[in-house]
Amino acid sequence: MQNILIHSAEFVFAPVLLPLLGAAIVFCAKAFSRGRIAKTIEYTGAAIGLLLPWLMLFIILPNLLGGSVYEGTIGGWDKNLGILYKFDGLAWLVNFLGFSVAMAAWFYSLGAGPRGPKFTAIFLIQTAALSATIMTADLFNLFVCLEVLGISSYVLVCSSEKPGAFLASFSYLMVSAAAMIFFLVGIYGLYRLTGKLSYEGIAEALAAMDNGGGITALISLALIIAAVALRVAVMPLYGWLPDAHAMAPHAVSAVLSGVLIKTPLFALSRILIIFPAGSDAGQLMGVSGGLTALIAVIIALSQKDVKKLLAYHSVSQIGYIVCAWGAALHIGVETPAGLVLMTAAFLHALYHALFKGTLFLTVGTLIDRAGNRSVYELRRGAGILKKSGEKIPVTFISFMLAAMAIAAIPPLNGYVSKNALSYALKGRWEYVVLTLASVGTVASFIKLSLIFFPPGKNHNAIAFLENPQKVHPAMKAAELFLAILCLAGGLFSPYISKIAGSLLNQSGTVGINSIPPDLYSGGNLQKTLIITLSGAAVYLLCSTKQGKAVLKRIRERPRSFSGLFTSFALGLAGMAAWLIYRTFN
Amino acid sequence: MIDRILLLILFLIGFYGIIVKKNVIKKIFGLTILNSTIVMLFVLEGSKIGSHVPILEENITPIVDPVPQALMLTAIVIGVCVTALALSIVYRLFNSTGTFDIDEIRSKLYKDEE
Repeated sequence: MQNILIHSAEFVFAPVLLPLLGAAIVFCAKAFSRGRIAKTIEYTGAAIGLLLPWLMLFIILPNLLGGSVYEGTIGGWDKNLGILYKFDGLAWLVNFLGFSVAMAAWFYSLGAGPRGPKFTAIFLIQTAALSATIMTADLFNLFVCLEVLGISSYVLVCSSEKPGAFLASFSYLMVSAAAMIFFLVGIYGLYRLTGKLSYEGIAEALAAMDNGGGITALISLALIIAAVALRVAVMPLYGWLPDAHAMAPHAVSAVLSGVLIKTPLFALSRILIIFPAGSDAGQLMGVSGGLTALIAVIIALSQKDVKKLLAYHSVSQIGYIVCAWGAALHIGVETPAGLVLMTAAFLHALYHALFKGTLFLTVGTLIDRAGNRSVYELRRGAGILKKSGEKIPVTFISFMLAAMAIAAIPPLNGYVSKNALSYALKGRWEYVVLTLASVGTVASFIKLSLIFFPPGKNHNAIAFLENPQKVHPAMKAAELFLAILCLAGGLFSPYISKIAGSLLNQSGTVGINSIPPDLYSGGNLQKTLIITLSGAAVYLLCSTKQGKAVLKRIRERPRSFSGLFTSFALGLAGMAAWLIYRTFN
Repeated sequence: MIDRILLLILFLIGFYGIIVKKNVIKKIFGLTILNSTIVMLFVLEGSKIGSHVPILEENITPIVDPVPQALMLTAIVIGVCVTALALSIVYRLFNSTGTFDIDEIRSKLYKDEE
């Protein structure tokens, strides 16, 4: 055991290399025609690629908590030539988030599909790209990781084989491939100025210049930020996300919404922390995050398709995260206030991954059984699930837990992380915006929850599938696993927050706890009650005739392919203008 | 200077293709043009740093910076993958809708949904 701990520096590559090894093994399964052997090989590969790295993370954890950081160049090259990597607390946390959700989602796909070695292999490659993205400290390597991540996710979105999925994947591919070309232009600008590709090398070289690199450096940075922000899907760059996440298979949706949009964000924070203009960039991102949280929840409230509703919620919740994340970068992550904000942002990212994963899986289970995905038509979900052989209503209970978590009902994890966010943001304008967004969240989840309950008097009953498919045990297990994590995340939040805080705290001096000390105080509970009640009021308002007409107009606002590019150009120009304005004023 | 202006024009042509052209195949052409522009930019500008072939032997200095070329090899590979994947997705879209026009594809698929 002692020996393992000493050599743990080599373990940090496990989360990247093991999934790739697993993918290679899974591809071997294709050599056998369908049968026992093929299945065994596929499952072995998946276990090596998903379970083993997850366990290995716990071997490294004590060392990271002890304050050590693994960094160096891949292959032992010279620092100016090789590719730099850095495995610190941030990388550990994002890896933990990624592998937990990916494991549950893959397990779910055993029951719900898409099945087969092709899917499993690409899923594993995506997971490897996730941990490579968060580990890298080299700009060009970041480009490669983001592209691998992107390409595997375009394929996974397509794997639901619906025509709509192909269009969603095509739009996603075109806009993010074009954005990555702008990213390359950004790399070109920074390389031409500094002759370096590692984050630290570039930052040092820029700081050594008397004008900090001037406009060229700022525009290059804006290009890089805009391309990454597109993957994160903040306003105004979110347009590709709802279709892609709604059309993907349910297991893939859970990973896309839970993990894939957050990894680039935290990878970007590595760059912004050390770049001279990073704090200004963080400020603008924070503002757009706050607006995203509010606007996206309004659009979510207007949606008809259940999975689109969930997808817009992902945009809204990523807005919460970006809001706190940007504020943390603006203040500086080494200050206590900044660290509290960053920890709260990560905590919400982790918890959102858990409850959004559960929601996508449970709602996915239901709409497959019911053969209908409209919020307005689908009713009696619990009954349909019972008819499909669920004696213990696992799906229903998991759904309710996750829905209450996202609506911030105590003691679930969403309550903790949203309170941590508002505690950290207290006294700022973002606080008000996020509270309003919480009201919208409650309203839209009341709307969504109705699909599980019997219809009201005036509801037109819709015919359902006669003999709904059985719910596979693997699906139930995956749903329950995530739902229990939601509950545990709420109950054990002080410990989790302490671990996250000390992992993110690179100076390692003071113990930071981002959980407010008065978490279950009367005032906070009262605030939750008020938010919940006003959410219910907003829901009632929306179900009136006028409310429905307004929502219809929001839902049917014009959306087009070229709009994606226009908003990308606008976002890019805005970021560049803001950075130049801040630096020269 | 003239080479940079030409590259900029090429870049704009590619971007124009992606945004304005309705035909999805032409959109993919636009993406490929954008990609090639960046490759040319890196190689062209990289070759101006130094003057000799980058062979690490005595008396060959100053060598051309080899890093941009190395980066572009990777970028070309990625570009080819993205193009291939985009074309295969378009093939599936054509199979299910019978058209290459992005607006028609969108309206046909949405009609199915409603």
